Amino acid sequence: MNEVISLDVRTNQILLLQSIWRGVFAVLAAAGALAPWLGWVTLDSNWQKLLVSAILLIAAIASGIGALQLTRHRHAGRMISLALDYLAFVACAVIVLNTGEVFIGIDALGETFGRGLPYLGIAVAGYFLGTIEDRFPKRDVSTTTSLKTVSRWIILGGVVLFLWQIDAVNGVLYFLGKLLQPTGLVAVAGTLIFGLSLWSMMRSEVAEALNAKTNHEQIISGWLFLSPNLLGFLIFFAGPLILSFYFSFTDSDAFNPPNWVGLENYARILNVRFAWLSSPTQLAREVVDIKVYDEVGRLALGNGGLLFAAADKFFWLALRNTLTFVLFAMPLSVIPALVLSNVLNSKLPGMKFFRAVYFMPSIAAVVGIALVWQWLYNATIGYINYFITVGIEFWNNLFNLAIIDPKIQWVSDEKTALFAVILIAAWQTMGFNTVLFLAGLQNIPGELYEAATVDGAGPWAKFWGITLPMLAPTTFYVVSTTTIQAMQVFEQVFILMNPPEGPNNSTITLVLYLYRSGFQNFKQGYASAIAWVLFIVIFGLTLVQFQRQRRSSIYES
Amino acid sequence: MKKNVVFKMLSLFVIASFVLAACAAPAATEAPAQPQPPAATEAPAMTEAPAATEAPATEAPSAEEVTLRWRTRPDNQEEIDVYSQISTELDAQLDGITLTYEPGGTEGANYQDQLRSEVAAGTAPDVFWIPGTDVADFATRGLILNFSDLATQTDGFSVDNFYPGPMYHLTYNPESDASGADSGALWGLPRDVSTFALYLNLDLIAEAGAPDPRELAKEGKWDWDAFLDVAQKTRALGSDIYGYGASAWWGPYGTWLNAAGGGFFSADRKACALNTAESLQGLEFQRSLYQDYDVATPYGEDPEPPFRAGKVAMFQNGRWATPGVRTVEFNWDVVELPNGPKGTAGNWLFWGAYVINAKTAHPEEAWQLVQALTTAQTQGEVAALGANIPSRVSQEALDAFLTFTPPANNQAFLNGIADAAAPTAEGPLWAGSWPEFDKIMGPAIQGVLTGATSVDDFGTTICDEANKVFNQ
Amino acid sequence: MNTQSYKFRRFLGNLGVYIVLTFFALVMIFPFLYMITTSFKIPSDTFRYPPRLLPRDPAETTVNGYDEPLPLYYVDVDGQQKEYALVQSNIRVGTYAPPENLTATVERYPSEVKPTGGAMNPQSVTIDGKEQKLFDVEVDGQVTPMILVSQTTVGEFIDPQNPEEKVYRNVRLSQPVENVSWHPENYEQVVELNNMSRALTNTALVTILVVVGQLATSIFGGYAFARLKFPGRDTVFVFYLGTIMIPFVMLIVPLYQLMVLIGWTDRLAALIIPWIFTAYGTFLMRQHFITFPKEIEEAALLDGASRFQILKDILVPASVPALATQATFTFLYAWNSFFWPLVIINVGNEKNHVLTLALNVLRGRASDTPNLILAGAAIAIIPPLIVFIFGQRFFVESVAGSGVKG
Repeated sequence: MNEVISLDVRTNQILLLQSIWRGVFAVLAAAGALAPWLGWVTLDSNWQKLLVSAILLIAAIASGIGALQLTRHRHAGRMISLALDYLAFVACAVIVLNTGEVFIGIDALGETFGRGLPYLGIAVAGYFLGTIEDRFPKRDVSTTTSLKTVSRWIILGGVVLFLWQIDAVNGVLYFLGKLLQPTGLVAVAGTLIFGLSLWSMMRSEVAEALNAKTNHEQIISGWLFLSPNLLGFLIFFAGPLILSFYFSFTDSDAFNPPNWVGLENYARILNVRFAWLSSPTQLAREVVDIKVYDEVGRLALGNGGLLFAAADKFFWLALRNTLTFVLFAMPLSVIPALVLSNVLNSKLPGMKFFRAVYFMPSIAAVVGIALVWQWLYNATIGYINYFITVGIEFWNNLFNLAIIDPKIQWVSDEKTALFAVILIAAWQTMGFNTVLFLAGLQNIPGELYEAATVDGAGPWAKFWGITLPMLAPTTFYVVSTTTIQAMQVFEQVFILMNPPEGPNNSTITLVLYLYRSGFQNFKQGYASAIAWVLFIVIFGLTLVQFQRQRRSSIYES
Repeated sequence: MKKNVVFKMLSLFVIASFVLAACAAPAATEAPAQPQPPAATEAPAMTEAPAATEAPATEAPSAEEVTLRWRTRPDNQEEIDVYSQISTELDAQLDGITLTYEPGGTEGANYQDQLRSEVAAGTAPDVFWIPGTDVADFATRGLILNFSDLATQTDGFSVDNFYPGPMYHLTYNPESDASGADSGALWGLPRDVSTFALYLNLDLIAEAGAPDPRELAKEGKWDWDAFLDVAQKTRALGSDIYGYGASAWWGPYGTWLNAAGGGFFSADRKACALNTAESLQGLEFQRSLYQDYDVATPYGEDPEPPFRAGKVAMFQNGRWATPGVRTVEFNWDVVELPNGPKGTAGNWLFWGAYVINAKTAHPEEAWQLVQALTTAQTQGEVAALGANIPSRVSQEALDAFLTFTPPANNQAFLNGIADAAAPTAEGPLWAGSWPEFDKIMGPAIQGVLTGATSVDDFGTTICDEANKVFNQ
Repeated sequence: MNTQSYKFRRFLGNLGVYIVLTFFALVMIFPFLYMITTSFKIPSDTFRYPPRLLPRDPAETTVNGYDEPLPLYYVDVDGQQKEYALVQSNIRVGTYAPPENLTATVERYPSEVKPTGGAMNPQSVTIDGKEQKLFDVEVDGQVTPMILVSQTTVGEFIDPQNPEEKVYRNVRLSQPVENVSWHPENYEQVVELNNMSRALTNTALVTILVVVGQLATSIFGGYAFARLKFPGRDTVFVFYLGTIMIPFVMLIVPLYQLMVLIGWTDRLAALIIPWIFTAYGTFLMRQHFITFPKEIEEAALLDGASRFQILKDILVPASVPALATQATFTFLYAWNSFFWPLVIINVGNEKNHVLTLALNVLRGRASDTPNLILAGAAIAIIPPLIVFIFGQRFFVESVAGSGVKG
């Protein structure tokens, strides 16, 4: 009671205004919720109307409750006020930016940005100049201060020149010009009103008046700090994820509104048949309904065989190729990395150099790398076949053999095409994995090895007995990230192969098939279903690895 | 202290970046490539998203001059230059229309797939070129405009001015299953026609002492046997010299099938015909070039680099390859494809058409542009620069075409599309999906030509699979 | 004795280590070397077999009596290799043999032989059922009727110092004289031809904005998760954690439709805005902030500092290594990403292309000029490589750190 009495006049006014404002907000939001249904605003589809109405209705109700709570001087009223005003403020600010064509304007920035880039470089250089003093032991205070001053001026000059070069003045004028239209003005006004309301409620006098506890401050700043991240995350990650799940049950095609088809997409993917063959060469049409199923593969067993047919042959081919890819690319990039990291872990000079060299491929763009390898793989003029030819000639001369040069058509022969992709992927990820292993190795306490040496263990025993078990967490991390990466192989195949499916579909992968379904045939519902199946496969693989890792670590302890 | 600066830099950056984004926006208006934001035209997807609704409203009044974007699929820089020049000329010619030419990706870069997604997203150009095979797919998906009404209102326009092969498909009405001038459908106008020829490296042929294919063709002796003879003689020059080279797509292997009297489809184009004895005979001969006689560049490897490097004697390609081949340093010419067992070369009549985006904001101007792009004069200019053969049926156009040398033997191209050679017109599948058919046929044929599958196995299974793409 | 053999063994061991390491280093570096040297070649040089690393141009020389400079070749003359100039190519040569003895061949230019019996009444002979024309060929002053067994072509080479000195050799098999020479103009050409400079600018712009944006949102989010207690925090955090494993391809279809909905297809904004909110980065920053001693923060709070001030003055400056780690990953990811730009940016709208897209177009358009394609690839690959070379230690250590923690 005491505190209520001690309220100053201004705070009282603010609280009164806020209560009224909440009421007005509630009425406006309720009106807005009705608007689409009464035809004041036209929205195209029902789900849009529903969404808009639902959001506004919730806001209206919350605002009403807030108004009530505020009149009763409850702190909850303040929280509701802040949340609503903040969300509305952000929405208005985004509309202001959008109306001013800021987002679209990034395109145009691409035109002038190049001119400004050198000046930005100057500013950054200026910043580094300012930090020089922190790197070396302090010598002379006056030098340091003057350095700092110079650095500041350079940064300032660089930024100003940069802004000038990218035509910032015109940009701001254009932005303001764009705002001079009804939507823009309303949004600017909204931003100001909500901002003002926010500011008034953030005042500590108001907080005190409403008996705010100390943890309230934490709650407010917690959500405030998290909000940019969370809002973006909900809009650009969680929302689409749910949407993707929804699409996978529809026939969405990006042109027309999606229709619900239930489990049809999944049913088509999983529609497979196994059939026994009476001879290894028996035709598929004799054992399965060829109007529905296509042969995916067959297994010869003695005089007969087993036929595998599927309604969507490409999906199963893609799954087969993807799993084959993982099965080879993962060990090929992990095992050499393990070996190399152990070698690099020795204290010989020059190891850092080698480490850097091994790391290089993993920072280069896959698209560029695939183009380079495409020419290395060239069957007629490529270096790889040249090395093979030279090597074979060398052996033939040395031992008087007659090995025939295979002249491998790396990317155009279905037997080698997938392997060619595997090689690139292994080449590119090996260095990265080496560095990870190296870090793991350096965390193993040296005493373990010393103790083992005392016990008379040889290098091999040490490797199997100490290094590998101690490296298990790193190995788990490396193997699972490499596997997840490999399951999504797309770019290498897309660039290296022409067509990307490769000879006789030998390099069609799940993500490539997803791309083909979703963005070439526009069966986006089907593509979403493929995405979920891919996710389940990845999830399953990771789970298996996780189980194994857990079991082995239990065993260790 | 320094940490402080880090943060200041960071925040400055964030603020600056937003300001900058705004700043540069004016440039957007200068850039003619920005059309009326096409987002505005795609009604179904619209929400209240302010960007989409407002932009056109503010920009439209200033646009008395209608801006049209158009696109082709150039294979090389030479072709881009040709079309850029045409665009500039037509821009000056057409009143009230500003043209922006944008070169699309190449075959390998999924030109048609990209276009589909762009039409869907509403960002595709107003007028674009697509290959004949894709017309049905674009039309039945509703991606391109049926402008038959506009055409009937235009004086002096007649579909009979163009080659009948392409026009059959371009006037096909899927609803009535009818075709022709009064079918009520017009999906596009053919930009050009083309056909395959063999580009010859005359130096290699002379060095190998092989007979000159051009002479043989004149004497009527240019058949599969003679072809194989030349290929083998040149191949014998060295392990890195090849007698024959062709890219891995349906065009080259199709000619061998056609020449043997076979083909991809049955006569009514409603079923697969890849398993007929004739088709298999053609495929068998081509397989033998790769597997038995080993005269060809490895299947699936691009033969153009080795050809340009002077290592391939006979390179099968269309007229579109001419501008690129003109830069080679050896003596070269062209000859028609060799005749197969049926006495014909089985060539294709390739064509592609200018079509109009179904979502264009300016259909009438787009129709003007399509007409302007297919006038005899424009076609003559394009042909003069070497890339293609006019699609209008007129003797003058053909006579003019002959003068566009090199190659000296331009007649080889015309022989390829002459009635006597009985070329098969490239065409879409109205009764099914051509892209899907291609996705099934291509890998299977590659399996045969690389020796992984036998021709017999191919024959027994291919149509089971391929027939699924036809609407039942 | 013993120590010596031990030393020797160790030396051998170390030698082995270096050999293995060097071998792998060569494997790692070779494609880059190939890319860079090939990007300086002329097109015909790129198609040469056997391939060579360094770019070379064919040498030419001017010879008295010829207007144009002539290409030089190595020609075998009397057992000696000499540099001769090619004057004329495609000179036909026939190989002739008497019908009785087909192995006794002689070579003559077709201009040197005459049809046996004269042009009006040419004679022929039937060998193995095939009719063959007979030609009068002069051998050692004696004229013999022979048949044409095969023919080929040769080139005429002259000694540049002594143009009278002529030899005839096969041109294709002759080794041309070449000089190492670099062609940086390939880069100019590729930049001009493919709007590569614009793509470079766009890529830099996108990368900078994504890195800065991601750092900002991750710092705030990570701080909230690590240091502030509020209801719902742990639920949200678990939710974040759960999504880290979800691969990007899951989102590509709905995100595409979302972009269509808000009109961002074909816009650079689509490459930036959705990517500045990341669960993984937030997680990393949270893991980092949580290791900080709480006392410093509490003391600052007591001094009246706001949360924001604490974050900017204390936590962020002390987190430069962690921030740099994240910036590194984000930089590489944004610079190299291809799938999403491929889906969302028009192939025809070169103004909005990023480098990977420009490369995708270039590979089709310049498919017969590997020098240009690889120059394009170099433009895309070299900037991150330069950054890497400067901050090598740092790059590598940040990766190592991520693995240990994960």
